[in-house]
Amino acid sequence: MRESIGRISEVQIGALLALSYLLFSAVFWAYPFIWLTILSFSDWRFFGAPSFSGLHNLLVVLRDPDFWGGLWNVIRFFSIYFPIAFAGSLGFAFGLKHIGHGKAFIALCFLLANISSGVAFSLVFTKLFSSTGPINNFVFSCFGFRIPWMSDPTLAMLAIALVVAWKFIGYYGLIIYSGLQTIPRDLYDAALLDNTPPFKRLLRITLPMINAQLIMVMVFTILVSFGIFTEPYLITGGGPLGRTNTPLMVIYETAFRRLQPGHAAMMSVIVATASYVLIRIARKLMERDVKLA
Amino acid sequence: MMATTLRKLVGTKSAGSWLITLTMYGLALCWLYPIGWMVMASLKPTPDIYTTGLFGGQLSLGNYDFLLSSATRLHRPFLGALGVSFGVTTAVTVSVLVTSAFIAYALARIAFPLRERFRDFLLLQMVVPTMMLTLPMFVLIKQLGLINSYGALIFPSMMSGWGIFTLSQSFKGLPEDYIDAAKLDRARLWHIVLNIMVPLNKSIIAIVALFTFTGTWDNFMWPLIVISDVDKMPLSVLLATFSKHYGDYVGPVMAGAVLQTLPLVLLFVLFRRHFLQGMSLTLK
Repeated sequence: MRESIGRISEVQIGALLALSYLLFSAVFWAYPFIWLTILSFSDWRFFGAPSFSGLHNLLVVLRDPDFWGGLWNVIRFFSIYFPIAFAGSLGFAFGLKHIGHGKAFIALCFLLANISSGVAFSLVFTKLFSSTGPINNFVFSCFGFRIPWMSDPTLAMLAIALVVAWKFIGYYGLIIYSGLQTIPRDLYDAALLDNTPPFKRLLRITLPMINAQLIMVMVFTILVSFGIFTEPYLITGGGPLGRTNTPLMVIYETAFRRLQPGHAAMMSVIVATASYVLIRIARKLMERDVKLA
Repeated sequence: MMATTLRKLVGTKSAGSWLITLTMYGLALCWLYPIGWMVMASLKPTPDIYTTGLFGGQLSLGNYDFLLSSATRLHRPFLGALGVSFGVTTAVTVSVLVTSAFIAYALARIAFPLRERFRDFLLLQMVVPTMMLTLPMFVLIKQLGLINSYGALIFPSMMSGWGIFTLSQSFKGLPEDYIDAAKLDRARLWHIVLNIMVPLNKSIIAIVALFTFTGTWDNFMWPLIVISDVDKMPLSVLLATFSKHYGDYVGPVMAGAVLQTLPLVLLFVLFRRHFLQGMSLTLK
């Protein structure tokens, strides 16, 4: 008898625990979603009741050059960041695999960048990149010129991409490394017997076998490209001439400086949808169902 | 002679292999360079920072003095901000860990009604981009009258769907016997979670704790939006505003950066074992 009461109450406790999270989500997830929908289709300046304005916000946003500039900057950032982060993390993973002693130490050095503060290191890198900073002093003493990191649009974007890559290469690399660990040794032994050249081994065995990890890294790079705020906000402030303005910065400006939350809400819906669709497309194109026959 | 010592040191056979090892050590040093530069710069007078080598120049704690005294002179209460950051981050991390552990146990081990739906809901939440929610979340916080309060920083992050999901995946893998044995002893739910599940899943809990702590401690955009009162700012935002207005004081800014980084690095170094282990578990 006692046993069955115990069991019933356990199920009830389980349901109550799940319910507590659902309540939390109702307040801090679902309710904001409702507001997002309302804001996207209304005119509102943070006071009074929002008034329905139909597709007006959409039309304004689509004609806003800052918004398009922000989206274009996502592509510019991604085209610099993705090759650096992808090649870097692949190199890190292969390198880590070939190390004898001190694997954990090396991995921890790279991961330290991943867990350290984005705010603090945005400031640190601003100083490192500055025209009289150590990087430029080094370049000047070697080649006799200074790199205009902050005044050239492409170099400014590169600077931000380097900072973000510094932060994430260790993490991405560890993801790829964990994939490399799961490849059975006999696959390589068989390839060696067949005299398969190293490059072909990489292309035909290694990369297909870590397809899942590579896609994970790719999805992360897309998410980062759409979602960076701290680094550009603190390093370049969006400059020069708005060429490092990211969508989140445009949304922030629109909502809290220009006081147009309706426009900002519509922007965030478009940006989130774009990132979601892009990730779906990228997965469709890249995903391979690799099976060991 | 040199080569053999090196070979012994790196413990590999071929020349190519130890070349890779040396390169990796070199790269690891490069990765640490910004951290080392930050620490050294924070110990030098500002005019010396760009003109001396990494380890050159006169070292002192003057920048930290300047930073802490700027509370009265420049109205930048860094000590208070450090307290806010610690209070908020601890509250969020403890809350996330406790709620995640119990709800994850329910999700992994108790067959409550609609359990699979609940799991699907967590997965859905993780797929939907959260960047959309920042602005409407601000509206909610404003409606609750929490603008410029610590509640604005704590309440929205008190539970984590990711934390629940990650822990439940790990709890599921544990052999049933442990729990059955505990149930035979008539152990209560909280006893099972705290004395069996938590100690057996330390690594994964360390991961959730570390990522939650880092994410909250280093959150910038959200406190920037909801806190405008200088006396209630967390360190991340106060440091950014300080750097914006007094960016030429490179030394003090770097001292602030060290303060902002130090707790994260300490936690990381302290839990590095669990962290590496947990990483390899979550990445499986």
